[in-house]
Amino acid sequence: MATTRGAQEALLEVVDLRTHFATADGLVRAVDGVSLRIRPGKTLGVVGESGCGKSITALSIMRLIERPGRIVSGSITFDGQDLLRLPEDEMRNIRGNEISMIFQEPMTSLNPVYTCGDQIAEAVSRHGSLTQREAAARAVEMLEQVGIPDAKRRAGEHPHQLSGGMRQRVMIAMALSTNPQLLIADEPTTALDVTIQAQILELMKALRERNGMAIMLITHDLGVVAEMSDDVSVMYAGKVVESSDAITVYDRPHHPYTKGLLASIPRMGARRERLDVIKGVVPNPLNLPSGCLFKRRCPYAMPICDNAPPLRLVAEGHVSRCWLAPDGGRPELGEAPSAAEAEAAALTLTVANP
Amino acid sequence: MTETRAPNTLTPSSPAVAPGVAGAVAPDTLLRVDNLVKHFEIRGGLLGMSRVGAVKAVDGVSFSVRRGEALGLVGESGCGKTTLGKVILRLLPATSGRVEMDGQVLFDIPARGEPRRRPVYASNEAMKKVRQNMQVVFQDPYASLNPRMSVGELVGEGPLVHGMTDKKEREALVRDMLGRVGLNQSHIHRYPHEFSGGQRQRIGIARALALHPAFIVCDEPVSALDVSIQSQVLNLLNDLQAELGLTYLFIAHNLAVVEHISDRVGVMYLGKLVEMANVDDIYANPRHPYTVALLSAVPEPDPHRRKKRIILKGDIPSPANPPSGCRFHTRCWLREQLGRPERCTTEEPVLRALGSGQESACHFAEEISPEAVASAVASSGPTVTAEP
Amino acid sequence: MASSESIRSGAAGPTSTSTDTDEVDLVAVQTYWQLVRRRFLRNRTAVIGLVLLAFLVFSAIVFPMVGGDAWYRTSLVHHPTDPVSIDAPLGYDNLGRNIFFRLTKGLQTSLIIGFFAVLIITLIGTTFGSISGYAGGLVDNVMMRVVDIVLSLPGFFLILMLVAFIGGIVPPMMVIIIAIGITGWTTAARLVRAEFLRLRESDFVQAAKALGASDSRIIIRHMVPSAMAPVLVAATLGIADAVVTEAALSFLGYGIRDPDASLGNMLTAAQDYFYRQPLWIYYPGITLILVVLAASFVGDGLRDALDPRQKLEA
Repeated sequence: MATTRGAQEALLEVVDLRTHFATADGLVRAVDGVSLRIRPGKTLGVVGESGCGKSITALSIMRLIERPGRIVSGSITFDGQDLLRLPEDEMRNIRGNEISMIFQEPMTSLNPVYTCGDQIAEAVSRHGSLTQREAAARAVEMLEQVGIPDAKRRAGEHPHQLSGGMRQRVMIAMALSTNPQLLIADEPTTALDVTIQAQILELMKALRERNGMAIMLITHDLGVVAEMSDDVSVMYAGKVVESSDAITVYDRPHHPYTKGLLASIPRMGARRERLDVIKGVVPNPLNLPSGCLFKRRCPYAMPICDNAPPLRLVAEGHVSRCWLAPDGGRPELGEAPSAAEAEAAALTLTVANP
Repeated sequence: MTETRAPNTLTPSSPAVAPGVAGAVAPDTLLRVDNLVKHFEIRGGLLGMSRVGAVKAVDGVSFSVRRGEALGLVGESGCGKTTLGKVILRLLPATSGRVEMDGQVLFDIPARGEPRRRPVYASNEAMKKVRQNMQVVFQDPYASLNPRMSVGELVGEGPLVHGMTDKKEREALVRDMLGRVGLNQSHIHRYPHEFSGGQRQRIGIARALALHPAFIVCDEPVSALDVSIQSQVLNLLNDLQAELGLTYLFIAHNLAVVEHISDRVGVMYLGKLVEMANVDDIYANPRHPYTVALLSAVPEPDPHRRKKRIILKGDIPSPANPPSGCRFHTRCWLREQLGRPERCTTEEPVLRALGSGQESACHFAEEISPEAVASAVASSGPTVTAEP
Repeated sequence: MASSESIRSGAAGPTSTSTDTDEVDLVAVQTYWQLVRRRFLRNRTAVIGLVLLAFLVFSAIVFPMVGGDAWYRTSLVHHPTDPVSIDAPLGYDNLGRNIFFRLTKGLQTSLIIGFFAVLIITLIGTTFGSISGYAGGLVDNVMMRVVDIVLSLPGFFLILMLVAFIGGIVPPMMVIIIAIGITGWTTAARLVRAEFLRLRESDFVQAAKALGASDSRIIIRHMVPSAMAPVLVAATLGIADAVVTEAALSFLGYGIRDPDASLGNMLTAAQDYFYRQPLWIYYPGITLILVVLAASFVGDGLRDALDPRQKLEA
């Protein structure tokens, strides 16, 4: 499993993405060096705590960053083309047709004055040449596919008439109506109850099987990620700190943050007297420490951690942003070494010297 | 696995149980809730004078909490667990029912259909004494702290209200409390907005502790916190319980968190308690079909244990219009298996003992077996095969 | 600044063993109001408004004092055609009165009316709204219908009527203050009521209740300070409203009358000389606009600075 990574062409490859926000309080580096790859038809789980930049990464991929935010550098290659260089109208075409997105609270992304059916029909007809009648029929069909009972009647209802779980199903129907290659799901089940979450996860699995689409699943819930993902990227304070396939990340985590996170969550059926903790608090984005962003909380912190660690290869297909990772192997991050890697390599030298 | 917790000898404010006061109440019972009902009326018409309907948030819940234990209360949104906590604390008026805390009746209101009698409420003075003994930690560490008050004022408010007027004495107490919850004592003059979520929750815990209560209602105390912070706060709550002999009513929707902190667990569905048992029993051997489904629905943080699960059909019904009979019958997998017995839709099941201290409100609790669960899982629609 | 503050607070005692707190030490101690002030001062328009308002208030206090009776003393020596001088920077009017001093006196009158009218509005509105919001239920329902009735009355005509009724008994300035005050409190009452309804359910009020705090303590210590934020904003914006209402009344001849000065009656007086002395209309006109703008800028700035939805990040 682990060895297939890299050999396979990536559907989406994000290299050293940086998205910054100029706020009144100062520059917030919400995303500051994120590299991800999503394989066709596979699911990448992006885990991190609130404020770690996982949602901003998703919005950057969709190029939906608004002022005062700005994508400062990096590249986002989707299906062979760099999304950051695409003109806006081509990007609009990709958004919705090739890449769709669903959000945590579907109510904010559904228009309250139109019926669910109309909204799906609009999404369908915007991206294809269908008559109104065909689009409406397709909308009902989509609602049926996402397991909404009595779809014909539901299509005529407004979003507020539906429960949270139903709304999320409508969102999914809308997102999938154009058969996208990639679905970005930003905390799709966080607002839902456990039993409803189980329904939605099951639905996403079934649709993934059938449509063969890739999913970028953004969540803070390590359970949901374990349940759904083939690959996992862990984010902390705007950076990816560890990436590998799911089994490796859960069985042999390398980065101290990942280790700490996995050790600190209470697990069912494994009651312990005390939970392990990650000490300290998530750093203030306006006041980030120099060097490794995790060093203040890290049980392994050492003098070298005052320099920012690069993403380093731990094993085949397994990278970790930690000085504890074995030196030598250059992380595989696309074809050419990026600026960040060059910088990292330089840093390695300067650190080695004194 | 469950350690027996030290009896409550360390808490200075908890008086010895007065014998005879509570009659049948076992001597180690701290809180007793009888047939508690809370309906929120939906009003309409001119000046809101007519009653249109009612949201049955809590609809006849009885249980007791033993001194020194942590009772977990789980359920999904709309099951009434938070309302239950607030009614017990008398932050919301009850519709009917009786709550007794440490020998003091907080209120005793006859239910509809019961013989008419005067409702009993604890007097304001008595209530103030009870409040000293019964505190609360809220879910949202941002909304639960007054942004205009310093940490010292926030934590010291309880002691001040209860007559500790000496400023020096109060400050010493506040510093002690800050130390206990792992906050820096020099932060006494700081304001809530300067702290992170986890630290604010510690301030909230310190505020509750400052009155030396015996009993604390923890209403989703960690669900608003980041994953890496949750374990800090959970450990703190555990340590404080051991150190001070506290009794908790721990309300949460996260089953793993509840399992971690509780000695006993109650499961709620649509305003009713459907199962109550010791923590180990309920997680290993759930005896209500809803509990079974709830446990089955939790995704575990282990990619090796991707399991097939029971997927409940449909949504949680509205508590304004709960289903007849057993409230769970509209989604129940066991009912389907048993060929939809009539009884589920007509007769409301009561919480009954099943031996070994486990209680379940299901007519057919005895039918739940590993085989039944397995077949329910199998019939739960297509699932992706687990990876090796 | 931040570092020196944190050093001071860090020196207050030996840091505890908890490593959880080090992030907090990076920011300076700030009370809620210090935070609000900081956010207000960062808003350029608000600061401009505040400076302007301060300048106007200063002018309204100091110049009438300096000028003595210059604002109403008529003179046969001075003419509208006299060249401007240090003594009369804006010249003299048709009665030989010093326009500059008359203008500052008029500004004084308008600001006094604005201030006291808003004071009445705020007092009535806050009391009414807080009782309604705290009591809830039927009391709230009835009180809010009263507000609806007051709101449905045509405000300006009500004021005209009041002026006609009590105009003879009470000095004109008082009449206007009372008239604006008792017709304008409804908005403040609604604001405070809404805040109280929200605050009653808020976690920190519930927490105070759970601690055993008395109703009066909860209202005074927790609810009123929180409810005052929107009232403060409304009051600042209300000053602009009151000044404009005064000007309109005086313009129509129901307000302050010559020889007393107000921005409104100066506008009226200037009408007759519009062709010969067009500047006479600009002096009170521009002053009026400046007052309204300054109050609006400050009000908007306050709203942003007090907005609870804004993240209270240091």
